[in-house]
Amino acid sequence: MLETLLSPKMLLTIILMGTIVYITYLTKKNENASDFFVGGRGFGWFTNGSAIGGDYLSAATFLGIAGLTFQLGYDGAYYALCFSIGLTLLAIFVAGPLRRFGAYTVADFLGYRFHSKRARLVAVLVVFSISGFYAAPQLLGAAQILSMFFGTSYEFGIIFTCAVMIFYVGVGGMKGTTINQALELWIRLAAFVIMAVVAIYGGLHYDKVLDGINSVTGPIADTSPYALDGKDVEVDGEAWSGTGFYFPTFWDTISITIALALGTIGLPHILLRFYTNPSAKAARKSALMAIGIASVFFLFAVYLGTVGRGIFISGEASDQVMSDMVTGGNNMVIPSTAQALGGEWLLGLVIAGAFAAVFSNLSGLFIASSGALAHDLYGTFIKKDMTEKQRVMAGKVAILVLAVVYGALGLLVKDASIGHLVALAFTVAASTFAPIFILGIWWRRMTEKGAIAGLLVGLIVSMWMIFLPGTVPDFLTFKVPGIVTVPAGFLAVIIVSLIDRRVPADVNDFMKKVHSKEAESI
Amino acid sequence: MAAEYQDYDYVEASTVKFDDLPPLDPQIKENMRGELTTGLILTAIYFTFIFSIPVLNWYFPEIAFKPIWGGMSLTWFLTTFVTMAMAFIIALIHTVLYERRLKNVEKLQPVKEDDEDARNVTIS
Repeated sequence: MLETLLSPKMLLTIILMGTIVYITYLTKKNENASDFFVGGRGFGWFTNGSAIGGDYLSAATFLGIAGLTFQLGYDGAYYALCFSIGLTLLAIFVAGPLRRFGAYTVADFLGYRFHSKRARLVAVLVVFSISGFYAAPQLLGAAQILSMFFGTSYEFGIIFTCAVMIFYVGVGGMKGTTINQALELWIRLAAFVIMAVVAIYGGLHYDKVLDGINSVTGPIADTSPYALDGKDVEVDGEAWSGTGFYFPTFWDTISITIALALGTIGLPHILLRFYTNPSAKAARKSALMAIGIASVFFLFAVYLGTVGRGIFISGEASDQVMSDMVTGGNNMVIPSTAQALGGEWLLGLVIAGAFAAVFSNLSGLFIASSGALAHDLYGTFIKKDMTEKQRVMAGKVAILVLAVVYGALGLLVKDASIGHLVALAFTVAASTFAPIFILGIWWRRMTEKGAIAGLLVGLIVSMWMIFLPGTVPDFLTFKVPGIVTVPAGFLAVIIVSLIDRRVPADVNDFMKKVHSKEAESI
Repeated sequence: MAAEYQDYDYVEASTVKFDDLPPLDPQIKENMRGELTTGLILTAIYFTFIFSIPVLNWYFPEIAFKPIWGGMSLTWFLTTFVTMAMAFIIALIHTVLYERRLKNVEKLQPVKEDDEDARNVTIS
């Protein structure tokens, strides 16, 4: 028992959990709705930049990108390229104006811009769709780690992670969440940096590892005991390092680029982060810092996925690592690589980092969705005259409801790829909120009906193409269908707005508020 | 700190035909034009680079997949190194240009403490 408790993976995970509990306890005082939903708007650019990074660099990045690179080669690494674009576009077109607007939730933007309850209601529906899509793979990552390295069942992993979230977000609100996210980001980055240093020190230089992988085609000796079919695992070095291994056509590649590049602009938990800055100037700096961190992170993720592949192909790792790499699926490549590189202590750090990634991202999703449920839905449509305390309480009850819903979704995606599922969440976000925010901020002609049409068309088309691909004509079928769904969302907004022509009478005041430079540094 | 959010009371807001809408304040129009032009130019440069990678991969594979450093091909280098740097550089240029324009505005229109509330009136 004591030996188990003192094992590095257990020890470091307990330290992480203890830190979360301590920070949550310190920040538990949420006196009003501003404290609970946007952390009192008091976080500076460094903390917020770290927290945006923490929010953005989820399990999909920490585990997913490396896993996709390990499995798909160049096409897997291409996911990192696409994910890296989004924050930059967000910084250019949305970050500053969004902070100048200042609100609690993403749906507030539509509520204000169009004075519309209907638009707010549709926005809430979209927030839940995106958050659900995003939360499920995060829970999958946590449950797989618990299952693989602590021997728990998948179902226990889901329930445990949801329970942690109820405490983490329900008690700490946005204040606790932000500080925890910022701290957790640096844990993950430290894990990646140490892994990369150990790999390079051990002679696993990028050029050499890639050379080794490219030159091997055929079965990997002695891997049959771990494979489901009982045969040695086959690899194809040339296909792995080329394109077309996963994305079969040029247009498939363009499609994922569009979806992932614009998806970030539509992610509710990322957009919400810009409300927590004290000023628009701080919002821009936060975004810049998050982009720098994310770029470094993606670079490491692809390198470590490649190193994992190199280790696997060389067949020099321990039986345990070889077995984990085959049976753990692509989501568990980073922990297995860490174990191969640095033994139990590095594995422990990576497991703590993976939990940090999951908690960090999930907490952002919980906060964003609890705002949608408690503030946009309950507070707007059911009980309009809530006191500040009742608003906070409604937010906490919403966390409980969301834990049950997300937990159920997590149970449904047991065998999926984290990176790919998140890419689909990005597709929905890019097809719904991205057109609304870009056009809502920069185009006065956008009308309420146009906004609602854009949200509904973007949501319905993306859901159709993701869930019912068999019914989609062949020429419109893509691995990630952004090339169809994103233009559909934009076109719906533009066409309906041009036909409708009735804009809010105070749209000029709105534009003044979000584009006034005098208010920038306040 | 910016003005705190205030709930909108959901009185049915009036709408006007876009053609009847008064023109935008010239200063705001100028702000938006400057901001959007810079953003679009930077985005065009960024996306030209981004989309050149799949074009290179699919239509010029002999160049794209030519090893340039051990087993690392040109496209692998562009995808995993240069793109990451580009994301930051484009955002940095945007921020620097924005702050330069902001300084110019502040020189022309010095901010007074007393104006703070007036500038942050919540739309309702």
